[in-house]
Amino acid sequence: MLFLLRLISGGLLLAVLLVVFLFLWRDYHSAATRVEASRRTYGRLTLLYEVDSNHAVAGPSYPLLPITSLGRAPTNTVPIDDTFASSEHAVVAMRSGQWWLEDRQSRNGTTLNGMPVTQPVIVTDGDIVGVGKMHFRLDLE
Amino acid sequence: MTTDSLELAAARSAPRVNVERSLLIIAGLFILTSTVSLSILRRGNDLHGWIHLIVWIACAVVGAWLLHRWLPKRDSLLFPLAMFMTGWGLVLNERLAPNFAERQTLWLVVSMAAMLAVVATRPALRWLRMYRYILLFGGLLLLLATIVLGTNPSGQIGAPELWLGFGSLFFQPSEALKIILVAFLASYLGEQYPALRAEGLDSEQQHRLSLSPRIFGPILLMWGLSVVVLIWQRDLGTAVLFFAVFLVLLYVASGYTPLLAIGAILVVLAGIVAYQLFDVVQLRVDIWLNPWPESNTRAFQIVQSLMAFAAGGIFGQGVGQGSPVYIPVVHSDFVFAALAEEWGLLGVVVMIVCIAGVVVRGLRVAVAQPGRPFHSLLAIGLSLLLGIQSLLIMGGVLKLIPLTGVTLPFFSYGGSSLLMNFISIGLLLRLSTEEN
Repeated sequence: MLFLLRLISGGLLLAVLLVVFLFLWRDYHSAATRVEASRRTYGRLTLLYEVDSNHAVAGPSYPLLPITSLGRAPTNTVPIDDTFASSEHAVVAMRSGQWWLEDRQSRNGTTLNGMPVTQPVIVTDGDIVGVGKMHFRLDLE
Repeated sequence: MTTDSLELAAARSAPRVNVERSLLIIAGLFILTSTVSLSILRRGNDLHGWIHLIVWIACAVVGAWLLHRWLPKRDSLLFPLAMFMTGWGLVLNERLAPNFAERQTLWLVVSMAAMLAVVATRPALRWLRMYRYILLFGGLLLLLATIVLGTNPSGQIGAPELWLGFGSLFFQPSEALKIILVAFLASYLGEQYPALRAEGLDSEQQHRLSLSPRIFGPILLMWGLSVVVLIWQRDLGTAVLFFAVFLVLLYVASGYTPLLAIGAILVVLAGIVAYQLFDVVQLRVDIWLNPWPESNTRAFQIVQSLMAFAAGGIFGQGVGQGSPVYIPVVHSDFVFAALAEEWGLLGVVVMIVCIAGVVVRGLRVAVAQPGRPFHSLLAIGLSLLLGIQSLLIMGGVLKLIPLTGVTLPFFSYGGSSLLMNFISIGLLLRLSTEEN
């Protein structure tokens, strides 16, 4: 009888583990899908590796947020590991339904399709943003 | 979009009730099984265990019902896990120290009422933030009162006097002080948050940061407070706990990593000084390094505790069938060893999962509050208070770290500890409904 009760209580302990695990698992998944969904809506910045002046290979891409900052500091939305980039280099932001590119007084400047950016400019899908020696392609959704 | 989010909300609220209810039912069955075993072993001629079971069921049902009415969007794991651990603790108390179990059951009712009161008080969080200096002052007065008027319920001369007595009722103010301090620090650091962040993240200023009074002022205050607790009260566990929790809070608020190193150095320094000055600390460290030569005298408790773990094995001896009562004061500080002996590794794993579950959910609540530093820091502080305290006593009982006399949250005998743990759970539940 006592042995039976021990078996039951062991089973109940396992049941607790199972319920907690299932709950955390499901919660983790729903949180992950929610985060994914909120990230997917805007678009992304894709790093381009230049092969020659006409051809480029796409590198890693970064999700675009309503305010996306680029720079060398690790706190930026898109951290750039390049000595030519300033710690807070440029920002791509959504303002009144348009995407704007703005240089944050960086030392080496920001370019849009090869032209230097001196004041905030509107950017569109497919534009190439240059930060330091790196180039990003803007893909909007 | 609206139908989507409605469906999402429905899908998220449906399993919530299920998890809470099914966990509570499993917990109830578990306590029932243990109580039946105990009463068979005692040949049924004592009804105490059943009273605890009935009180526990009443608390669980009333609590779940009222929470469901008042906080429909609460976190669904915190309450059932807390109840499960408390019920398990009641069984352990009934098994280890039947004379104390009745009092603990009474404290459960009080704690449940306090938790529900916290949950029902809508402006509770605002009050904690607005009246922080009054709170801190009150907490320090409590500490002072304990230093001057403190007693020990056991009446032994030379035992640490950490309790305030009101007739036959004893309360340990350092338990209340824990929550008060966390609330105060969360509120203070929450207000300093933008400045702290700015200093912590500016890489060129980092070398100046360690000298900033914003960082150093509170560190020294807390360190001093911990030292006061240690010197006047000989309460090693509480002192370490205060300092550790505070350090983590400051680290989270500032994001400045060397803080942890500075804090660790301060702890070690304090430890070395305390080792020279206090017999208690010296004893704890000595028997941690090598308990075996004195296994019949000073290290008897820790050695018996290790033997209890060995006797437990994987599946344990079964409730009431081991012999954990060889460990002195097993019902408060060493309840973990008793649990290990009677439920084995399986029980220990489930217990740790439960505590970790509460901590993880608390941190989850903190993460879900962007832009509200006070709420985040309060949730982090409260959950880490539980987590670090559990780690301290579990490590101590296992001879992993020097023993510090703190209670194992929810399991140990101790009314003030249970009350404050339930108030923490109440605050976390309240915070979890305020997610954005």
